[in-house]
Order: sequence, then C-alpha cells, then structure tokens
Amino acid sequence: MAVAGAGDRAVFWYGCNMTRHGEVIRATARLLEAVGIDAVTTGGPGSCCGSPKDANARINEGMARRTIQQFNATGRPVVATWCPSCHMNMQDSMAPVTPTNFETVHVTELLHSRQDRLRPLLARPVRARVLLHAHLGFNTRVPVNGLVSDLLRLVPGLELVEHPIRVPGHMCSSLAAVPGALADAEAATLAAMAETGADTLCTIFHSCHRELVALERGRPLRVLNWVHLLAESAGWAAEDGYKAMRNAEDPRAALGEARIEAAGDVAFARLVEPELRKPPTL
Amino acid sequence: MSLADHIRTESARLAALCTACGECVRACPMVPYAPGVAESGPEAVAAGLVDVLRDGPGTEAARAWIAACTRSGVCTPACPERIDPAFMLRLATWRAKGALGAAPLIPVKEDPQLPARVKAFARLTMTEEEQRAWL
Repeated sequence: MAVAGAGDRAVFWYGCNMTRHGEVIRATARLLEAVGIDAVTTGGPGSCCGSPKDANARINEGMARRTIQQFNATGRPVVATWCPSCHMNMQDSMAPVTPTNFETVHVTELLHSRQDRLRPLLARPVRARVLLHAHLGFNTRVPVNGLVSDLLRLVPGLELVEHPIRVPGHMCSSLAAVPGALADAEAATLAAMAETGADTLCTIFHSCHRELVALERGRPLRVLNWVHLLAESAGWAAEDGYKAMRNAEDPRAALGEARIEAAGDVAFARLVEPELRKPPTL
Repeated sequence: MSLADHIRTESARLAALCTACGECVRACPMVPYAPGVAESGPEAVAAGLVDVLRDGPGTEAARAWIAACTRSGVCTPACPERIDPAFMLRLATWRAKGALGAAPLIPVKEDPQLPARVKAFARLTMTEEEQRAWL
C-alpha cells in the first residue's frame, strides 16, 4: 500500500458536509494523533473539491485550485481524505489540472497501516453484532470495505457479521438523487441485518450516516459510524450529535434555544431544520 | 491545462478507444433506475455515451444512464478494453451538466446554499475554536 512509507505530517481533509458530524472529525483527528500522525484538520467551503459546481468547469477549477494551493503551502507530504467524492475528484480532476506536492490517501489507509498502534488503545469491549454498510463504489479505488472491517476487528467484543450485500453508488448521497434507489438500498440493508441477526449498522461515510440514522426510529437497532465504535472502545466521548438532532421528536427542543441562537436562528430555520424534520426514507 | 481542456482531452481519448460493446452498461447496478436503458440495449446506450463525449446530444437512454450514475465503479473492471468507463461517465456527467458552456442535457441539481448550510451545521457541532481551526 502506498501509505506504508508516508511521512508523519499530513493534512486531514474532511470535506464539506462532514460539519454535521463534529464528533467524528474530532475523534478521527485524535485517532490520527494516536497513531503518530501530526495532522492539521481542514474542510468546509474554504477547501472545496469543486464538485458543487460541476455544471461550470471554470468555477469548479477555481475552487479546486485554491484548495490544492492551500494544501501545497502546508508543505505536508500527505493529504488524508475522509470523503470519497473529494478523494476521487482529487484524482480525476484536481491533481491532473493543478500540480500537487503531496500524496493523496484515504484516512482509513493511514489508520490501517498503523493498526498496531491503534490496538492498545482499543481496550474497552463494545458489545455489538455489526453489519458494515458497504457500497460498491470507491472500494474499487481504495478498498475501504476491507480496511474498515479490519479496523473494527480490533475492537474487543465486537462481532462483525459476514454478508455479501454491497449497495450501489459510492455513498448514499448519490443514491438519494435517483428516485427509488435509496429506499431500495435501505430495504436491502435492513433485510441483511435481519438475515444476519445484526443489531448495529456501521456506516463508513458521512452521507450514509446522515441518511441511515433515521432507521433507528421504531426499530431495535443502532446506526453508528466506524469512528464512533473505535472511539467507544478507546473510552473517548463521541456522542452522535447529528443523530440526536435528526431523531429528536422536536429538534429545536432537543438542541435548546441557546444553541440555536448561537448557530443563528434564521440559518437554523432555513438551512438545518428542514433536513432534520425530513421524513425518513423508510 | 484548464479543467475544460482536461475534460475535452480525456473525452476525445476515451471516445476513440471505446468500442461501445456495452459491457459497462450490462454491469451497471443503476440500469433499473434509468428509464429506457434496458429497452435500448447496452450497445446502443454505450454508443450514446460516446456521442456525448464527442460533443453530441447522445440518446435519451444514454442521457438517462448518465443521470443515474452513482459512481458504483463496477463498469471499469467489466470493460474488456480496460479503458475506465467510470471515468468516461464522470466526463460525460460534466459535459451533460453543461460544464463546458453548452446547454445542459440532464437536470442539474445544485445547492446554492451548500456553503451556508455547511457552516450552519458547523456552528452546531464544533466549538468556536474548532471552527476557526478547521473551516
């Protein structure tokens, strides 16, 4: 694997829509630190891959070029991605257009290559029978399904079930844009959980997590990201803030007016609340 | 090189290599979600894809297939010519969305509020110090 010789200094590029999951960014940064990676964490609109402007090559290119220039300026030899879209865009359109002075790897590759340093941290048993929510896409570039499976197997007490299900797409946001596709993927996932007796669905990517946490409503199952599970085993606090908002009967009441005011009441009402109140796909 | 040049250059290169055998379409798990693709047949849909890469309008079925692409990536190992159909579809998506300045061939779903939404969520899930450092 290319990361075997990677340096100890990196940029951890979490993408844009990951800001819904602050605790996952925080815990991932801590995991990187724990395995000896000195990483600066960055994401959001200021370091965009350009894909939100896919319909305009000139704007897309400008956004992507600014991001690469920022990464180049850090002098760090590795950029560790979280988002599969960002990762593929770096390979397909960003780096071929704007020269880079870093290697792009996925964060799971970095952690997997240093799993011997992770193992002693993961001391607390996590009692869970886990089905990995695996997609067909991106795994052909970076074998994330196997990498995450291996990381989960480091957790004592955790039982990873085997099932051949691999849903289409590279993450659930792509399926959500195609009528019927996300509902079919979720139904197949629930069927696989029932078939294997899994009580926990483990997401790999943020957009899947965003869509799938609502499956907990009225069902005896948990939806957790792989980072939540590793953090739990390490004894780190990493409460799923997005799930708490999304599955609350009243998101405003769950968050409290003080937090909403700090976030901006108008912004919350226009940009956040409709998503939190959206009916579940299934 | 600009992104537009990159799209044009790679489109021409891959369109020249593609034989439109249709193996990529046969392998695609999204065909049931792309109206008209199954009825048109894999070869015709692949030929329509190549037409889009050559500045053409493609066919209705080819445009539906491009619009339904979710980047599953299984088309690439299915290609007997080893020419990366997944990247061909990425190029075709850019073109079909009008990235090179032509009128879009497929619906374009952009979220103009994405940056504001991303920051609004950050204010709910990150400390102020984290926002300063991470955004």
